[in-house]
Amino acid sequence: MTAVADPTQGAADVGDDARQWSGPSPVGWLARGIVWLALAWLVLVFPLGRQAFEVQQYSEAVIFGIIGLSLNVLLGYVGQISLGHQAFVGIGAFAAAYVVSEQSQSFWLGVAVAVAIGGLQALVLGGVSLRITGLYFALVTLAYGLVAERNIFQIEEFTGGGQGQPAPKPEGFSTDWRYYYLCLAFLVIVMWIDWRMMKTKGGRALLALRENPRVAATFGVNVKALTLAAFVISGAFAGLGGALLAFNDTFVSPETWSFNLALIFVIMTVVGGLRSRVGVVIGSAFFALIGYLLDRFPVLQDALNAIPGAPDLSAEIAPLVIGPLLLLLTLTFFPGGIGQQIRPLQGWLAGRRFDLKDRGPKEVQITDVRA
Amino acid sequence: MDRIREHRGAVVAVAIVVGLVLVLVLAGEKEALVIGVIAGSAYGLLALGLVLIYKSSGVFNFAQGEFGTIAIYVLYLLHFRVPYGFAVVGALIAAVAMGVLTERLVVRPLFHAPRVTLLVATAGVALFATSVEIWFGEATARPIDRALPTLDRFSVLGVQISDQRLLLLAVLAVLAALLALFFNKTNLGLAILGASQEPTATELMGISVRRLSTLVWAIAALLGGLAGVLAIPEGGGFAPGALTVAFLIPAFTAAVLGGMTSLPGAFLGGVIVGIVEAVGTSASVFDGIPGSAGTLLVFIVLLAVLTVRPQGLLGRRS
Repeated sequence: MTAVADPTQGAADVGDDARQWSGPSPVGWLARGIVWLALAWLVLVFPLGRQAFEVQQYSEAVIFGIIGLSLNVLLGYVGQISLGHQAFVGIGAFAAAYVVSEQSQSFWLGVAVAVAIGGLQALVLGGVSLRITGLYFALVTLAYGLVAERNIFQIEEFTGGGQGQPAPKPEGFSTDWRYYYLCLAFLVIVMWIDWRMMKTKGGRALLALRENPRVAATFGVNVKALTLAAFVISGAFAGLGGALLAFNDTFVSPETWSFNLALIFVIMTVVGGLRSRVGVVIGSAFFALIGYLLDRFPVLQDALNAIPGAPDLSAEIAPLVIGPLLLLLTLTFFPGGIGQQIRPLQGWLAGRRFDLKDRGPKEVQITDVRA
Repeated sequence: MDRIREHRGAVVAVAIVVGLVLVLVLAGEKEALVIGVIAGSAYGLLALGLVLIYKSSGVFNFAQGEFGTIAIYVLYLLHFRVPYGFAVVGALIAAVAMGVLTERLVVRPLFHAPRVTLLVATAGVALFATSVEIWFGEATARPIDRALPTLDRFSVLGVQISDQRLLLLAVLAVLAALLALFFNKTNLGLAILGASQEPTATELMGISVRRLSTLVWAIAALLGGLAGVLAIPEGGGFAPGALTVAFLIPAFTAAVLGGMTSLPGAFLGGVIVGIVEAVGTSASVFDGIPGSAGTLLVFIVLLAVLTVRPQGLLGRRS
């Protein structure tokens, strides 16, 4: 498997049997334009006509996308797994809420503090446990998540005790609709940073490092520094996701950040498709919206409730039941996740031919999730 | 001299235990000591299963705690209908069944996948088990009776010990002896050890490594089930994911203290972790720390072992 290849390679290969394909016809462009417009309508216009509580769910889906991208940096690019990501997100949420409610500072400062604390935590935890990799790193992050749950979130001044910490929406974005577009903007920024990051020398070195750390080190890649840097970026993204979640719910409760949530984060990233930005965002949004979709479409709910002998599957438990099954399916049969499945469509939308065999220049394999 | 060097880890481990015991007795934390040793035995029981699976297939089994939780759920459901003893047997059978199913349905299809993939998969199994428990049994805590109801017949160091806790200790002692016998004297046990060290050579000797893998998962699940059935009733109740929440991290820390490969090390590690946690929970020094200091102390122990002595107390440097 080649780590980095020219993205146009796939299209060039198709040319063999297609004899010099010179781009889509006008009808082809029209079809692509219609699909693009439909997608833009779904993301930008559709929420305008929905109820406030529904838009709040859409915002959550967008924020989950940011969190998924945060894990993707660690899991997809470095190949290290964090089972304590709920701690990073949760601490970001509380930090932002604390700055805004207790210190009465502005929303933007709250977000900045959450991002900084997310990065700082990763720096400290990564600095201590940098020589620990693979399975043991997963264990350390899991234990850290538990410490956050049992100790950090029990600090009353920080988390507001059992009642939680209020986090009012910022001025100018006080309605759910406006806040949704704010979250979208943040998601675009994160995706852009992620994209630019992987184009730098360090980003390419990261990919090489995941392929084979020893070979990368031989070529002069500073394995430790890069791993730590990726961890810090992942932590900062997670902090941002947490801050946005806090203001979306206008309230943060210590009970939200459990081990189950950490696993859902990992599952949505793997199911979304490692190293596929679009796939990860779709996967994350899907897991954020499962409950909503079940409420919205009774047909789905009925189908689930038709399982003989089982009690009704409520919207809260549904992701927890469906998630692990999808995870096992993905790991066993579709290691590339959603990102790989939508790859032909992506290529088509970018003006290439619809090619079912297109697996992308960086095909995800089962061996990719590794120490 | 070489012999001493070879067993330096064991000496250090025993020294740590003795040191902890002395300090606690002198500091008047006898209750923390006794409770810690017993809670630690449960961690040790779970850690034995973790080490067995790690030795045989190199997997960090995050579903180990759920083997115990499933057992306690089955015990709860059965003990209304049949005598407690039969219910325990049923519970253990359920745990073993879950272990074998996990091996067959999850671990085996991913046999050639990297170990971290398997870790994610077993974590998925744990989440699935927890969510099924919530799905069918709601997220409420349920009471469960002890197997032996008498609370105050015996006391050690002036601390009263319930019969249930003594039972836990006795089962652990018997199991430790049986496991030692199994791995040192029986052909099957030797085959499992061989498969963990030299899978190819073991295959060439005409032993099916995959079949052994199923057996190891069954044994590990049995140990997990026993931990659940014996330790949970002492606390009086349980909720979905009970053992994953409360036992998995201490058990892993115990296993890491044993270098992930040593069975006696895992057990000693369990006792150390149990004492450390009990001290963190009860000692007044830690009152300033928000929440339960025990969790924090266990985390610090885990980090310290992994950074300072990654091969564990009794493990060998590889």
